[in-house]
Amino acid sequence: MEIPYTVKPRPDTGLYNAKLGIWLFLASEVMLFGALFSSYVLLRVGAEPGTWSMGLMDLLVGAGNTMVLIASSMFVVLAWAELKQGNLAGYKKWKWATIACAVLFLFVKWGYEWPSKFKHYDVWLNNATVLQEKFDEGYHEVASHGDHGDAAHGADVEKYVKKIYTTRFFKEESKDSQLAFDDAWRNGTLALSGHINAYEEAQIDVRITGWKADAGVSEDAADEALVKQLAKQDTEDAAGLRLNGGYLREKTDYDTAKRAEYALGQAGFTVALSVAGYKRVEAHPWMWRTKRATEDIGGKPRVSSIVFELDYSHHKGIITLDAGDIKRLSAYEPKHSTFFGIYYTITGLHAAHVFGGILIMLYNMLPIGLGLWHRDREQFTNRIESFGLFWHFVDLVWIFLFPILYIL
Amino acid sequence: MSATSEPAKTAEATEEQHDEHHEHHEQSFWRTYIFSTDHKVIGMQYGFCGLAFLFFGFCLIATMRWSMAYDGQAVPFVGPLLEALLGNNVARGGVMSPELYNVFGAMHGTIMVFMGIVPAAFAAFGNYVVPLQIGAVDMAFPRMNMASFWAFFLGCVIMMVSFFIPGGAAQAGWTSYSPLASVIPTDGQTYWLIGMVMLITSSLLGAVNFIATIINLRAPGMTWLRLPFFVWAQFITAFLLLLAFPPLEAAGILQLMDRVLETSFFLPTGLVVGGQDVDVSGGGSPLLWQHLFWFLAHPEVYVLVLPGMGIVAEVIANNTRKPIWGYKYLVGSVVVLGFLAFIVWAHHMYMTGMGTVISAFFQTTTLLISIPSVIILTCLLVSLWGGSIRFNTPMLFALAFLPMFGIGGLTGLPLGFNFSDVALHDSYYVIAHFHYVVAPGTIFAIFAGVYYWFPKMTGRRMSEFWGRVHFWGSLIFMNLIFMPMFAQGMAGMSRRMSDGGATYSLSNPDNADVTVGTLSDTIMGLNVSISAAAWAMLVVQLPFIVNLFWSVKHGEKVESDNPWQATTLEWETPTPPPHGNFTKEIKVYRDPYEYSVPGAKEDFTPQAQPAK
Repeated sequence: MEIPYTVKPRPDTGLYNAKLGIWLFLASEVMLFGALFSSYVLLRVGAEPGTWSMGLMDLLVGAGNTMVLIASSMFVVLAWAELKQGNLAGYKKWKWATIACAVLFLFVKWGYEWPSKFKHYDVWLNNATVLQEKFDEGYHEVASHGDHGDAAHGADVEKYVKKIYTTRFFKEESKDSQLAFDDAWRNGTLALSGHINAYEEAQIDVRITGWKADAGVSEDAADEALVKQLAKQDTEDAAGLRLNGGYLREKTDYDTAKRAEYALGQAGFTVALSVAGYKRVEAHPWMWRTKRATEDIGGKPRVSSIVFELDYSHHKGIITLDAGDIKRLSAYEPKHSTFFGIYYTITGLHAAHVFGGILIMLYNMLPIGLGLWHRDREQFTNRIESFGLFWHFVDLVWIFLFPILYIL
Repeated sequence: MSATSEPAKTAEATEEQHDEHHEHHEQSFWRTYIFSTDHKVIGMQYGFCGLAFLFFGFCLIATMRWSMAYDGQAVPFVGPLLEALLGNNVARGGVMSPELYNVFGAMHGTIMVFMGIVPAAFAAFGNYVVPLQIGAVDMAFPRMNMASFWAFFLGCVIMMVSFFIPGGAAQAGWTSYSPLASVIPTDGQTYWLIGMVMLITSSLLGAVNFIATIINLRAPGMTWLRLPFFVWAQFITAFLLLLAFPPLEAAGILQLMDRVLETSFFLPTGLVVGGQDVDVSGGGSPLLWQHLFWFLAHPEVYVLVLPGMGIVAEVIANNTRKPIWGYKYLVGSVVVLGFLAFIVWAHHMYMTGMGTVISAFFQTTTLLISIPSVIILTCLLVSLWGGSIRFNTPMLFALAFLPMFGIGGLTGLPLGFNFSDVALHDSYYVIAHFHYVVAPGTIFAIFAGVYYWFPKMTGRRMSEFWGRVHFWGSLIFMNLIFMPMFAQGMAGMSRRMSDGGATYSLSNPDNADVTVGTLSDTIMGLNVSISAAAWAMLVVQLPFIVNLFWSVKHGEKVESDNPWQATTLEWETPTPPPHGNFTKEIKVYRDPYEYSVPGAKEDFTPQAQPAK
């Protein structure tokens, strides 16, 4: 049994099967990305003024990546052209060049663009007073030493921040941007943007308050569970704790405390957590949740305050935010806003296509893929041509992505 | 070439045996029957899974019908099973809880549409019959074909597993409207989305394969207007799947992001769930989900219906012994229908407040699409005129398809006009309407196809007597189930209520006297009769199931390779067709339905028979 037109094109359609297949596949891909682009349009058109945070992209990096992909599209054609002339060495040279471009593209995305966003935060505060207070506090330093290029001076601070706000949400100053800014400023819906430099996290005491004998766990098993949680592996202590209660651990960290609470709950204990004090942690956390900052442990917050460095303040606008003042906090991650949601979804899906392309290209460079070249040169050349069509499509998607996410 | 020339047949048979023998050396059991790349084996795998899921989906609704007729009472027979399998918080004492009703309801829709009818009508018959009818040795991409089936299978496994996770399967209906679907705390919806992505991938691979096969692998002489209508129907269906499914995939990815990464694509600003603000950014659009979903789900209706129409056309042409009336109109209609199917989706959304201008546009396109549908139905109906009809089981099912599909189609018109849809939206009228289209419509066509092509697949016929029992039982109970639902819907009964509308009826604010419901006793009483008809329907499927398996080994052997004396190419193969299908060169000389050609020796002239 031999399937016709796997290599030679069918005369009346002018296509070999794989080429027809890849075009059909691309048609469906157009619908997939088309639906996502349509979603982008609908979400953007429907966004409240001052919520579509698109002026944050690094235009230079995006443009560089665009050039890298365009170059790779050229190399993939050159590789195919070499095969057409029967030159396997030339094919390999250009194919490696294509792979190098693809890897560079992904490296920039995964290694730089995305991770730098995961550490960058917006904080919305509970009311306008707190916002304005913190705002004044933060830019006070900058204002008094304002000699950094376009950085602000004295009363110009508000104007300066308005400029940041306007570039971010409105591209240029207009009546709308003025109204939106005034509104956000008055109502406290403006977000402070910057980095978390440090935070004060609770140190937790874990206390055993009782043990239910009828919970279906034997005394030995309960003691065993207790020993696992004790700092010192002491069985006598365990029995005492079970009978009389008392402190299991003092000033331990959150994760340990929670794990102990869960494991001991399973073994029939009742456990109380209380905050003994706070410890300053110097760190730049990734993708923190609001819940982490505002969670309540025995009547006290898990994080008491955050040391926050404001954007464009050149390491001087450092403020301390009480956890109680925070309404919402989010890194520039998908859940930050619908803009970042659609940004990560489309670029993520595109990156997945690039990654898949790299795998296919590597396959076609390894002996297992090159076997076809030695069996049937024309079919292998066709295969590279079909892949080239796919690769151009991936490139084309980015050509549309770049302006809608970085420029428009 | 009919199988009248005895020596040729014997020669073929010997060759076939030789071939089979040869292949046994080459391919293991696993490669031949499980991980096969042969389009016929894949077709039968799809068919078996599709029919099994149709049955399972029916069992779900049969269980739900108990809850609607006798709310709060333990389900007989299956109640203890539910409690044992799914836990006593969803089925305490064998009583179906409203949550379980929601799970079954959502999964009934999902299973019937995506795991039952699409695989059975499109993938199974398409895989088995299309390459044979166009004279191809296999599909254009056999390994991709296998990948398509296994992606489907994996998707089904994920869907089935989701029944048994804590909290059960998806509960937000097969339409999975957000924000409801995004905020339900159990994991069922997440499994549903991942399962759907697998099923969509499977459809995508299948659709590419079908289109490439039909365009590039037609036998010499098989021009576009010599394609049997079934192939045309599959061709257009494949385009619908290719282009309509990806937007649902996009929607699925977005909803998955909403559920897993807490984005707000479909969650509006200020969303409150259970009295509490949800910690999300907001700014999303619930309407966006509906647009993306129905952009698939309306073309999906034609995906469900077109293969059925194709099967019915084949069976009617063959059993009236005359050409299909208006073949070219059929082809033209199906092409126009495929195009229009993409621009009618928002007629499911009249009640969302998307605006009168948009409603007017979609109302217009919706009524336009009824034109090609009516042309197809009329052509098939007129084809009966003057035929010498053979009333065998496949033909009975095909004949019943016409009025049943007609009822389904015509009752859709009041739903297409937005002024009447306002009253009928989300009522039992809608349920009755679309079930008339797909249940006695497409499912009857599937039955017709099974009885019609069974002899080609196995070399034996299914029992004619039990076929008739199956047919008459199904026809009667199908109507007893769905006809009363029109009345219920018009009386105002809403869908998706686990007690069959009892609480809704009593809690109507216009109804001060709570002892008398706004729905009359007759309307509420229909719940019981509909449920009884549904269970009877389940019983009359048993003859079919037994008949299907029994006939594989014990059915009456066919006397030739072309037992129905048909004209199309699938009957030119040995029975059952070997790997590679044809044992001779295939060339096509004539149109697909040359029955009763004046002056011909027999009343059918196969497509592969050379002109004199």
